[in-house]
Amino acid sequence: MAELSIVGKSVIRKDALDKVLGKTRYSADIKMPNMLHAKVLRSTVAHAFVKKIDVTKAAALPGVHAVLTAKDVPGLNGHGIIFKDEPVLVSDKIRKIGDGLALVAAETEEIAQQALHLIEVELEKIPGVFDAVQAMQEDAPKVQGNSNILALRKIIRGNVDTVFETADIVVENEYVTQMQEHAYIEPEAGIAYMEDDIIVVKAATQNTHFDCREIARNLALPQSRIRMIQAPTGGGFGGKLDVSVQIYLALLALKTRRPVKLVYSREESIITSSKRHPCVIKYKTAADKTGKLLAVDVHVVADTGAYSSYGPAPVTRLAVHAAGPYEVPNVRIYAYTVYTNNPTAGAMRGFGVPQIAFAYEQQMDIIAQKAGISPLEIRLRNTLKNGSVTSTGQVMNVKGNIGNTLMPAYEKVMENKGQSVVPHKKRGVGMGCLYFGIGNTGQPNPAGAFLDVMEDGSAHLMVGAADIGQGSNTILAQIAAEELGLDFKDIKVISADTGVTPDGGASSASRQTYISGNATLKAAKVVKEKLVNEIVVWQSVSLEAVSLKNKWVFINDKQTDITVAQLIARCRGKGTMTIGHGWYNPTTQPLDDEMGQGEPYEVYSFASHVAEVEVDTQTGQVEVVRIAAAHDVGQAVNPLHVEGQIEGGTIMGVGYGIYEEIKVANGNIRTPSFATYVIPTAMDIPIVDAIIVEESANTGPFGAKGLGEPPLCAPAAAIANAVSQAIGVRINSLPITPEKVLKALQAAEKI
Amino acid sequence: MSTVKINFILNNKPVSLEVAPNCRAIDMLRENLDLTGTKIGCGEGDCGACTIIIDGNTANSCMVLAAQLDGKNVVTIEGLGTYDKLDALQQAFIDEGAVQCGFCTPGMLLSAKVLLDHNPKPSRQEIMQSISGNLCRCTGYEKIANAIEKASSK
Repeated sequence: MAELSIVGKSVIRKDALDKVLGKTRYSADIKMPNMLHAKVLRSTVAHAFVKKIDVTKAAALPGVHAVLTAKDVPGLNGHGIIFKDEPVLVSDKIRKIGDGLALVAAETEEIAQQALHLIEVELEKIPGVFDAVQAMQEDAPKVQGNSNILALRKIIRGNVDTVFETADIVVENEYVTQMQEHAYIEPEAGIAYMEDDIIVVKAATQNTHFDCREIARNLALPQSRIRMIQAPTGGGFGGKLDVSVQIYLALLALKTRRPVKLVYSREESIITSSKRHPCVIKYKTAADKTGKLLAVDVHVVADTGAYSSYGPAPVTRLAVHAAGPYEVPNVRIYAYTVYTNNPTAGAMRGFGVPQIAFAYEQQMDIIAQKAGISPLEIRLRNTLKNGSVTSTGQVMNVKGNIGNTLMPAYEKVMENKGQSVVPHKKRGVGMGCLYFGIGNTGQPNPAGAFLDVMEDGSAHLMVGAADIGQGSNTILAQIAAEELGLDFKDIKVISADTGVTPDGGASSASRQTYISGNATLKAAKVVKEKLVNEIVVWQSVSLEAVSLKNKWVFINDKQTDITVAQLIARCRGKGTMTIGHGWYNPTTQPLDDEMGQGEPYEVYSFASHVAEVEVDTQTGQVEVVRIAAAHDVGQAVNPLHVEGQIEGGTIMGVGYGIYEEIKVANGNIRTPSFATYVIPTAMDIPIVDAIIVEESANTGPFGAKGLGEPPLCAPAAAIANAVSQAIGVRINSLPITPEKVLKALQAAEKI
Repeated sequence: MSTVKINFILNNKPVSLEVAPNCRAIDMLRENLDLTGTKIGCGEGDCGACTIIIDGNTANSCMVLAAQLDGKNVVTIEGLGTYDKLDALQQAFIDEGAVQCGFCTPGMLLSAKVLLDHNPKPSRQEIMQSISGNLCRCTGYEKIANAIEKASSK
């Protein structure tokens, strides 16, 4: 491949200047003339029938312009990413704390808040179910329909039972993982207004086109009557995939014909947004005496809360990745997604993989110990490689294996490894590895791109991909600029606006660099073909001789005196429009229902984390001293961004490992603030070594693969293994708190 | 409700305003003066997104009443730099990749500004300490600390 000029360079992100100046207008910062303020009346009980909602007094309050309840939803009163099982506003049954009961739009926030207090609600409380394992029992209260089991994902291959009868090594453990909050710093917010007969909704979101479809269905309007625009979004991590303010705002703007703004408080954000599934994982592994894996038998119960949201999808991804990045000829995985009256669990960065990595990676270390080999050796011995068959029967088409990321991470930690200075503090090193499928699991998930290249060499790139801070606008502009030889700075990216851009699907599944990147590249190739055809005729040269680079036309790798802009102008002058569109849908095969066999992803990323910890055996405190995170990203389109993703994801993974837990009692979140839900601060972080590995993917744009999620997937697993190495006991439950460490030490009579 | 008249210096300019006695500084800045660079992340003093500088020290403007600014010298992100003349910290944040979603960025910059004003050559530990009241969920703080370090060596 010719040397790249823009892809692979750490160009400055497009939105950085406005952001450092405080000029970026996030949803809550937008003001419009005549704007009303909205508030939502929410349930404070977890399970109840609604007998009556009387809004008469609220509606009569001066300054109130609309009070809406379920009967004011003109279309389907249901939404949800996979199933439409969550009411816009509850009409009959409350299923969780935080369910929306009524909406108010008023002249000020204070009046809207007063109006909420004037709404009279009569409820009949009913028993709820707050434990997913209990919820699976026949006699448990039902949250939705006749069964609380929303989905069962099975993946079956080979014959597990016979292997376990004869295997040299069998290891069986139960692992428990906690509910995690995304904790983006920007709470959900948005504004809606009428533009002629179009309802414009501008809000923090990860998927405008999904939002638009939901609003249209709920309002019984054509999608073309809704224009959903992504406002600059202050983080998402999966939590802004579900609809939050969008439908409420559209209803109120249509009703009042005035601009309406709705901004969630932090508490409202934590109570209503989806979470990472808490899981109970029973994991049984068989290996021969050399440590070669023979079989895994995995049973998972994931608490999905009251509504399906993305629910079954992360649990499916969990199941697909349940054997880790290893060759396992016999697998039996049963992963249940179960309704309860707890907060809804849906998409969160990592999408099921952090939970299962915590389990399978501890299993690996235990087997290594029994086989008398090192943790490093067992992983290298069992790694998936080119030609390996995965749990779903997919034949891996890869250049490297787990060693490509594991070795550099391991070496980095070992060469810097320190010693504890006091005897009651013990140090240990542990590792966590993964492979991660890019894109949605065995589902079509296309993205599109429009490109309009103008005669001065500048361009508009229109993509549906939402830039939520990860930097997709910058990455996609780099891809277009590289292909067309344009100046990166001259490409204006217009993103995530259903009135203008094609559907890009969700900014989730680590998919935008790969899928919207490929769509952008295809759009650029359409334009490039026109330009190259023109120069072929103009200069009487062959197609193959032409290249476009750094604003100049090259022939046989020699710079000509023709600029790309001149070439574009020449095309346009002759009536050839230099516009292009492209779309990309990764080739996958859905998993079958019975055996879970198929080809869920077109491409996989590999990653390894190696952690060094120091455990205080007197207090139980775990300090992560250092964590090396090596990620195979195919091609780093922007290395500085890649490092940012690795560092940020790794710290979120450290939080998952030792700090963070949404505590829920009877469906009530007991940690609805940053004072009670503790995410890492700058004082809590280890040294992070972000290591970029580039095993380019043939199918990726310039070889790039996805990266967003893998950094969060294995830190907790690596920390758990490091803790075990330090103190000789295993903690099978997340987060690894001082209490759990002390209890485990006491149980093992080590103190 | 009666109002309180306050006079203070905001971003080097005198400001005179009538505010409600229960009006928070953050709301006065964002609503009365349309200075929306100061963000509300929690409204409870936990996240630091609303950090401003009052008489040379950082404060969570969601925990301060507007009336308390009377007679003070206040700096918000809008006073740190302009398109034409960025503060060295702002340039370093851009260059070092310290910005992702950007929501914590204004508060983070102002905490760093106070640090460098008091301590022009801080250690890494002092840098981390100075921004420990500002939560960031995107970056993992590493690149933010790099940026502050870079700005301090200018």
